[in-house]
Amino acid sequence: MSLAVAAVAAASACGSSGSTTTVTQKAANGGGDKSVLVGAGSTFVAPLVSQWEADYVKSPAAVTITYGAIGSGGGIDQITARTVDFGASDAPLSSDQAAACKGCIQIPWSLGAVAITYNVKGVPNKLHLTGPVLADMFMGKISSWNDPAIAKLNPGVNLPDTHITPVYRSDGSGTSFAFTDWLTKVSPDFANSVGTSTQPPFPTGTGAEHSSGVVAAVQATDGALTYVDLAYVQANGLNYALLQNAAGNYPEPGTKSVLAASTVGTTNPDGSISLVNPPASAPDAYPDATFTYVIVPQSSPKASTLKAFLEYAVGPKGQAFGPDLGYPKLPSSIVASDQALINKIGS
Amino acid sequence: MEAIATAAALLAAAVLAIVLFTLTKRALPAINTDLFTQNAAPFGQTGGGIKNAIVGTIIITGIATAIALPAGVLLAIFNTEFAPRRLADLISLTLNVLSGVPTIVIGVFIFGLVVVGRGQSAYAGALGLSIVMLPLVARATEEVLRLVPSHLREGGMALGATRARTVITVILPTAVGGVVTATILAVARAAGETAPLLFTTSIFVGTTVNTDPSQAMASIPMVIFTSSEQPDPHAQQQAWAAALVLVVIVLVGSIAGRLLSLRTRRQIEQVR
Amino acid sequence: MTTETPTVHAPMTARRRWRFGDVALQGIAGLAAVGLAALMVLLVYEVVDQAHLSLSEFGLGFLNSSVWNTVHDEYGAADLIFGTLVTAVVALLIAVPIAIAIGLFLSELAPRALRTPVGTMVELLAAIPSVVLGLWGILVLGPFLNEHIEPFMIAHLGFIPFLDGYPSPVGLLPACLVLTLMVVPIVASISRELFSSVPSDLKQGAMALGATRWEMVRGVAMPQVSGGLVAAVMLGFGRAIGEAIAVAQVIGGSLTRPPNIYAPADTMASRLAAQYVGTATSLQKASLAYLAVILLVISLLTNVAAQVIVRRMQRRMGHG
Repeated sequence: MSLAVAAVAAASACGSSGSTTTVTQKAANGGGDKSVLVGAGSTFVAPLVSQWEADYVKSPAAVTITYGAIGSGGGIDQITARTVDFGASDAPLSSDQAAACKGCIQIPWSLGAVAITYNVKGVPNKLHLTGPVLADMFMGKISSWNDPAIAKLNPGVNLPDTHITPVYRSDGSGTSFAFTDWLTKVSPDFANSVGTSTQPPFPTGTGAEHSSGVVAAVQATDGALTYVDLAYVQANGLNYALLQNAAGNYPEPGTKSVLAASTVGTTNPDGSISLVNPPASAPDAYPDATFTYVIVPQSSPKASTLKAFLEYAVGPKGQAFGPDLGYPKLPSSIVASDQALINKIGS
Repeated sequence: MEAIATAAALLAAAVLAIVLFTLTKRALPAINTDLFTQNAAPFGQTGGGIKNAIVGTIIITGIATAIALPAGVLLAIFNTEFAPRRLADLISLTLNVLSGVPTIVIGVFIFGLVVVGRGQSAYAGALGLSIVMLPLVARATEEVLRLVPSHLREGGMALGATRARTVITVILPTAVGGVVTATILAVARAAGETAPLLFTTSIFVGTTVNTDPSQAMASIPMVIFTSSEQPDPHAQQQAWAAALVLVVIVLVGSIAGRLLSLRTRRQIEQVR
Repeated sequence: MTTETPTVHAPMTARRRWRFGDVALQGIAGLAAVGLAALMVLLVYEVVDQAHLSLSEFGLGFLNSSVWNTVHDEYGAADLIFGTLVTAVVALLIAVPIAIAIGLFLSELAPRALRTPVGTMVELLAAIPSVVLGLWGILVLGPFLNEHIEPFMIAHLGFIPFLDGYPSPVGLLPACLVLTLMVVPIVASISRELFSSVPSDLKQGAMALGATRWEMVRGVAMPQVSGGLVAAVMLGFGRAIGEAIAVAQVIGGSLTRPPNIYAPADTMASRLAAQYVGTATSLQKASLAYLAVILLVISLLTNVAAQVIVRRMQRRMGHG
């Protein structure tokens, strides 16, 4: 509590001294004030960024980070329009988005697990589920919790006949992208009828905005399930499912299984790395992990401040906050390539 | 038939009572000094308050009033003093139509006009709110101006004063109570509007107080909107508390506005 | 250096200053009027401009298509129009009779002492911000409907096709009820004014001829005010279709047409509110703006029509 007060006091001091200079030298991106960095985007990484906000303002750099968790789609929008200094997205930029962003660099600054959480009276924690079964649940093909397909995976569990309500993100979401990316790869049916997107056309269920919204919707509805960043599941003490990976195992979602997935990721031509559906050669890998990216313009009036912050974020100080929230520390190879990308930022 | 009508009225009163009662009951545990002196807590932490949202709403609504008040009064003066009957009717029609435009559409309008390419700002939000306030201020001011008895106008002209002098030195001072009332009612309405702020000043329901209107700013309606979707019961309670604060502001403003309006009317009647 | 006799201008007398002020005031006030016109034009232009990518891509077929697919980049408003119309019409069906009854109560039937407090309460209901009603809808009304009312309805009314389904705390039903709460005060206060404006000699004449209160209302007052009531309903309709915030909070943002009244759904305004910040493609953003265009057109039409009816009524009753 006192931490928050101190952070807030320091932040307000920075904010108010900055306001006079910001008014006179307003640029199109978050103001010309170099002691403020403004970012927006992914709710997946918001818990971690929130820790950075509180901590970084106390550092000698004394820079206030203001982050708006509006969803990956919103983050891409904002940075493309240069109305923020950095954007955050779990979904890598599509080729159209990369072109529209005009010289944006996308840097993986954290990684985490997309967890499946559910609220069904009578169903215990750590239910076993597979990708194809989840795909059918989200397509409406499996509509009650005691469906044979689910029962087969969970012998000995007494499943009620409650109706399944899939809950999905109605806003532009990188978590949706990571989830549908996995389902598309393990279910040809899903690939045909829904596909991979930050706003997938789910044929049934309830939509809610932001990670917090889908969690709230699940808690309000008996029989509901959704996909969300592990940090939200842990923060709210929710049930989560154990998902089967290609090796047939059901690894605990957490830093260990996410790191195992990160060692066998496939690099795409645009530099992004896909971690979903790791091959069977990684027996402990979590099947639906994802990197999450910060998107920055290659030339920015706040280049030096931005670089310093990003180095903090991907470096040991920033990454130290991750494991408690469920985000493993970035593998050193990624940190190294990140540094190369950060060095490209100039004014 | 009396019974049906009475039942309907009682139903409306009962629903209002239920809404206000649940609001108060759920909000009360969170009403403490922290609510007004703290900013929002970071993710996962309890505590915090809505100080930044209160400051934001005051600034945004203040700027909106600074835009809508002069514009509305001038429109009302034009309609009562200068416009021929047909034109005045047309302007009234336009104002009524403007007040019927869904506020979300106004949000899209301001977004395209001001936010695209520049970024969100409290100014943009204030601009959206001022469009919501304008018809309210203009119509109410026009009503009051028309109440001012004609002998005041004629007297002024008879003494050789020009139109402008009569308006500014005689009519406006008589009507000032009505203008104040109109403003209070418009502010009470604007303070509760969320849609005009949704695309214009919504990114940062952040954890710090921002007093720079060229940046996006927190506001009470946006805090309620975002907190209402949170799973954490503590955050939901903050939403209730913020809602109670907002409802108190709005209700006090509405009641004050109406009482003032009655008093102004009585005062003007006495001048007759 | 030559010295010249300076030209002497007539001093600005107070009178001349005020005459100048006359022109100035008329000028500024006129500017405000021009500004209003410019604002309306700019509003329509800007919203249509935001939508033009989608307008040119889909044209009027947008209104007929049920697709909303960001993967194929294809959009259509049919499901949203469905949700918008169902919620608005159901809200009106419930709200209008209640509101007219309240209007009658406040103008004719209530003892004088009750008129102000009850009237104030109706106005206070109108003053509650929509986001607060939405909050109440999510956290109080929705769960209540989900646990008590919807199971009851399914059990007893489930033979009616649209009323059979699974209970849900978000969906069409909470949205309809929240909209009802918003529409009632609008229609009630207009009804009250309308009934109060019926000339009392007409009312008393009917009563003197032996009509009961109800017969007087039905035979004399209603026909007088029917036009105005239509206008009031249109204004209520405009309010209901345009409400974005409270509906977005309780309707459950579904991407497909709801199979029944309990299921999550979506309306044009609430889809716009949910998706506009952070679209996947620019065509999607333009399609959302297209929804704004549709809302704008409907609201302009209903409001102008309502105003025209009101003017005609005022003229007929000698106010014009």
